[in-house]
Amino acid sequence: MSNPTTARTPGPGRRIATDIYLTLVLLAGVLLVQTALLSRVRLLGAAPNLLLVTTVSWSLLRGVTEGLIWGFLGGLGLDLITGMPLGTSSLGLMAICFLAELGTSNVFAGNLMLPVFIVVLATPIYAWIVLFTEQMRGLPVDWLATSLHVIAPEMLLNALAVLLVFPALRGLIRAMGITRVGL
Amino acid sequence: MKQVSARTLLFFVLAAICVVLLILSSSGHMGAVEGAFSRISRPFLITSSGLGRQIGNVFTTARDLATLRARNQQLQAQADTLTIDNLRLKEVESENERFRTLLRFAQLNPTYDFRGGQVIARVIGKGPSNYLATINIDLGSEHGIQPGMPVVTERGLVGRVHKVGPVSSTVLLITDPSSGVQSLIQRNRLVGVINGRAGAPPVMDYIPQDGEVSVGDLIITSGLGGTFPKNLVVGQVVDVHQRDYEMFQQATIRPTVNFDRLEFVLVITNFKLQPGQPDELEGVG
Repeated sequence: MSNPTTARTPGPGRRIATDIYLTLVLLAGVLLVQTALLSRVRLLGAAPNLLLVTTVSWSLLRGVTEGLIWGFLGGLGLDLITGMPLGTSSLGLMAICFLAELGTSNVFAGNLMLPVFIVVLATPIYAWIVLFTEQMRGLPVDWLATSLHVIAPEMLLNALAVLLVFPALRGLIRAMGITRVGL
Repeated sequence: MKQVSARTLLFFVLAAICVVLLILSSSGHMGAVEGAFSRISRPFLITSSGLGRQIGNVFTTARDLATLRARNQQLQAQADTLTIDNLRLKEVESENERFRTLLRFAQLNPTYDFRGGQVIARVIGKGPSNYLATINIDLGSEHGIQPGMPVVTERGLVGRVHKVGPVSSTVLLITDPSSGVQSLIQRNRLVGVINGRAGAPPVMDYIPQDGEVSVGDLIITSGLGGTFPKNLVVGQVVDVHQRDYEMFQQATIRPTVNFDRLEFVLVITNFKLQPGQPDELEGVG
């Protein structure tokens, strides 16, 4: 005779599958918001990069391993929508995941200013990787103008965005009860 | 130690996949995958784009209201000026009619020196990247769209088709830094190249030093190079940069198209010269 409590509890495999499904839905939602809404918000000549902000937040909240996967899949989605060659955004997003390491072992861990600091660092790194791939493909890139007129305002916008996104994502992860994948 | 090495391994594996995808995608070998994705994502993008547009309109309306009063006064002043101009233009028009009879060839040829199908396309999403000025339209190879085709609105040149999927395409705007449009100043036929700039209005480069460029001059496509048809309106000069020690002068351009409010565009699918069309038409402003 089986215990009714244990019979209703999903197994670990099913739980992980559900968590992956929820994460993918969340990622798709981020891409749609980025594409449909934030691309219309132009402040100081740039739009906030929600995917970058969520990648940094995810890495801080869930660890670098999950951040890498988030950045890889999110980057592929973004490239498919923007028409950029596949892998361009993924490379940039995965590289910035390692910045989350700065936050796990210092005295500012848990402080909301930490994601702001990391996003400010991550924005130019991501942008320069994307620009570098564009240059490698033979496209003309104005490094100075792009850095001054696009990347600098984007750093500010992303820093403001992470103040909203980080707590929201933390609350959402807790509410959804997504389990952590460890490597 | 084991955790770090596993994570690093994951990074290198994913990075290697990215590099392979980057090479395959850049060489056009991922067309089938990209096409399949565009087919699946198209309805979501159309729906979310419509939603985004409506939300954007709310903010735009609020912002417009704040400037409405000042704008109204400005327009009233403009209307007064235009009324006077209108009377003067009626005189010019009657004079122009007489000149037209002399320029028979101009009457026998269409205004534009291109022909062919123009397909109305719906803008389904603005490019979400800050480093690539693009829009997506809901027309693809199944509708006869090919890379390089010019894209316009009734206000002027938008850009050219950059990437084509089966049912959607990406349009590279003229404001993108990698975009170059062979153009000329309508008033005095000075040639130059309009280049997009990151986070700034496009500029017209390579204008000869001895030419006169004034604020307000209209810029049109020259048709040189065959990428774009001739005589498409591109923008207006808002600033001129001339230095005696430089070989060329430069003009900042304000595009006539409002890229933030694009909803419908036309793709010019064919703009070959019509048979028998005289070259002299090029000289007609």
